[in-house]
Amino acid sequence: MASTIKTVMSRVLDTAMGTAIVAALGLVPGAGAARAQETIKLGLSLPLSGTGAIWGKGSDFMCKKAAQEIAQAGGVKVDGKTYNFECIAYDNKYNAAEGTKVAQTLLNREGVKFIGGSLGTAPVQALQSLSERQGVVLFTTAWGPSIKGPKFPLTFTQMNTPFEILPPLIRYIHEANPQAKSIVMLNPNDATGRDTEGVAKKVWTETGVKVLSSDFYERGTTEFQPIAARIASLKPDIVDLGAMPPADAGAVLKELDVLGWKGVKVVEVGTGIDGLKATGGNAIEGVYMGAAVSLDGDTATAKQKAVNEEARVAIGESLNAIQIGFYDAVYALKAAMEKAKSVDAKAVGAAMPEVTFTSFYGTPVDFYGLDTYGSRQQMRLPVIITQVQDGKLVERSRIVPGTK
Amino acid sequence: MQTAIQLILTSLQIGAVYILFSLGLTLIFGVMRIVNFAHGHLFAVSALVVASTVPWLVGAGFPILSAYLLGAVAGVAVALAVGLVMYVGGFRFFQRDLVGSFILSIGLVLLLDGVLLRTFGGAVRPVPDIIPGTVTVLGAAITSQRLALCVAAIAVTGLLYWALTHTKLGKALRAVSIDHEAAMLQGIPYNRMALAGFMIATVLAALAGVLIAPVTIVSPAIGADYLIKGFIAVIVGGLGSVPGAILGGLFVAAIETVGGFYFDPSSATIAIFVLVIAVLLVRPKGLLGHG
Repeated sequence: MASTIKTVMSRVLDTAMGTAIVAALGLVPGAGAARAQETIKLGLSLPLSGTGAIWGKGSDFMCKKAAQEIAQAGGVKVDGKTYNFECIAYDNKYNAAEGTKVAQTLLNREGVKFIGGSLGTAPVQALQSLSERQGVVLFTTAWGPSIKGPKFPLTFTQMNTPFEILPPLIRYIHEANPQAKSIVMLNPNDATGRDTEGVAKKVWTETGVKVLSSDFYERGTTEFQPIAARIASLKPDIVDLGAMPPADAGAVLKELDVLGWKGVKVVEVGTGIDGLKATGGNAIEGVYMGAAVSLDGDTATAKQKAVNEEARVAIGESLNAIQIGFYDAVYALKAAMEKAKSVDAKAVGAAMPEVTFTSFYGTPVDFYGLDTYGSRQQMRLPVIITQVQDGKLVERSRIVPGTK
Repeated sequence: MQTAIQLILTSLQIGAVYILFSLGLTLIFGVMRIVNFAHGHLFAVSALVVASTVPWLVGAGFPILSAYLLGAVAGVAVALAVGLVMYVGGFRFFQRDLVGSFILSIGLVLLLDGVLLRTFGGAVRPVPDIIPGTVTVLGAAITSQRLALCVAAIAVTGLLYWALTHTKLGKALRAVSIDHEAAMLQGIPYNRMALAGFMIATVLAALAGVLIAPVTIVSPAIGADYLIKGFIAVIVGGLGSVPGAILGGLFVAAIETVGGFYFDPSSATIAIFVLVIAVLLVRPKGLLGHG
């Protein structure tokens, strides 16, 4: 017994000594830098299970990627101190009940003062009800206008929402397909889907397109034949699958193809081609999307291609606009902390509308939204209109929003 | 007329999978008097194995049909292994214990959720077209794959029905389901019947997963939707009743199809739950339930 304890102690001491020597030589990544550095926790509330898991996993990956890059570049310098970020992700299962639990855990147990990203309107609303009260900076991909405005000075949106995407996207589609006069819309029956539908219906109507029907379905549905049969029977010129996840949208388009429907296909806030292709096959040809990013083509930089390839290995799909938002939020926080010369959440939140940082898209990005939301809380990101052509995502137009 | 035929065809296609799924649930309940919420994960496991192995085998040069059949064997085998572990390590100790089995199966759901996500990732897995093309039946369109699925599901259901009514094992399972103590007094080994019932239910779930994989969204979350619909089907039809599961499966599919066509998908979902409430109020044991 005594000899066993002695052996174990000896191994522990050997390991500790070895680690100390290696760290002193700077061979452990980050060990040298860690000497005078502190860690800032970035809380993430996202779906890590269920149908939204792929978005959550990719978002977690991108937060960690940005944090790693910042650490390698020397960290966040504030008032003579150097800080690094640590991303802490919890599963909100894309619903309000779990979102509430995650909010409590992040803010009250982990003591997080910065939310690096949050996904899903319902869980985000649960999180925001605590974050604003407790003086926590909240980055979100949620779309509802009800979560933005002067009443919520610490909330910022890290991706384009339907308010930014839909007007230019719908105008583009209308100009490219002037013969299309009628539309059927389908969205998930939740806060995200309802928000999207509200904006889309208004813009389509203003464009002069007649809305034949606007339906909702439950997330998690796997059989889309009845839905497709209904849509096909209405004989619309355009089918708009709004905020449907790509895999669901692909399944609807495939069933529509079987039923012989041919027309203009739109997945307004479609985030990528992989899931769409997995279920839709050749039926996705010609689909217009407003939140997808083409990271394989000539428009992508070497860095974007490299990170995208790394993500493909880690999560099994190409990156999308949601996940890129989690990367950008980390850089926005770094910029705001350095501008505020403070890591106090309220000071950082106050400085945020004034900062400019380099986005994953490769361009400088600042905050805007006075006209739409009454305050500058929305990242001014390019609206990228893409279309599926020969099974690949092709960028059709890139629009940078105005200054307000 | 064409619309009516399209709706009937759609109901049959969807109903075929619901029937296979609910037959497993009702068999487990009939023999063991337990509810297994992890049944959907057995279905998901086989679908995921098919979706993982078929593209790999096709890439290795196998013809698509051979690749699918090999994938199907692998899917059923893996699901059977998972089912056996679930039974031996868990349900064996909670037979005829509704509360205990309920808690156990919820725990298994959480565990398997994590395991499937870790093993297969969250991305949707495509399965190449096994039987490409579309056929037209009296003016209504249906893919050849869906038609094959329907035929296979009807064949499996028919085989199960025949086995339950004509074989020694089937008669023993029915006897245990009706009165397990009387069955044991007649010399029927209850524990062996419970294992047999559980494994047959696992095979049914696995076959449903194998059949649906080429035509649906294959991801670790695929089992949840079918589990809910399957439970509704067996509650409407009568827990423990095989004809009830068939009737319930078709009923749920018909409401989903007709309601989704004339109103909207959300209204159809609500209608299904209203139907369950109505049936339970009028016939608490389900349409064909007994005991």
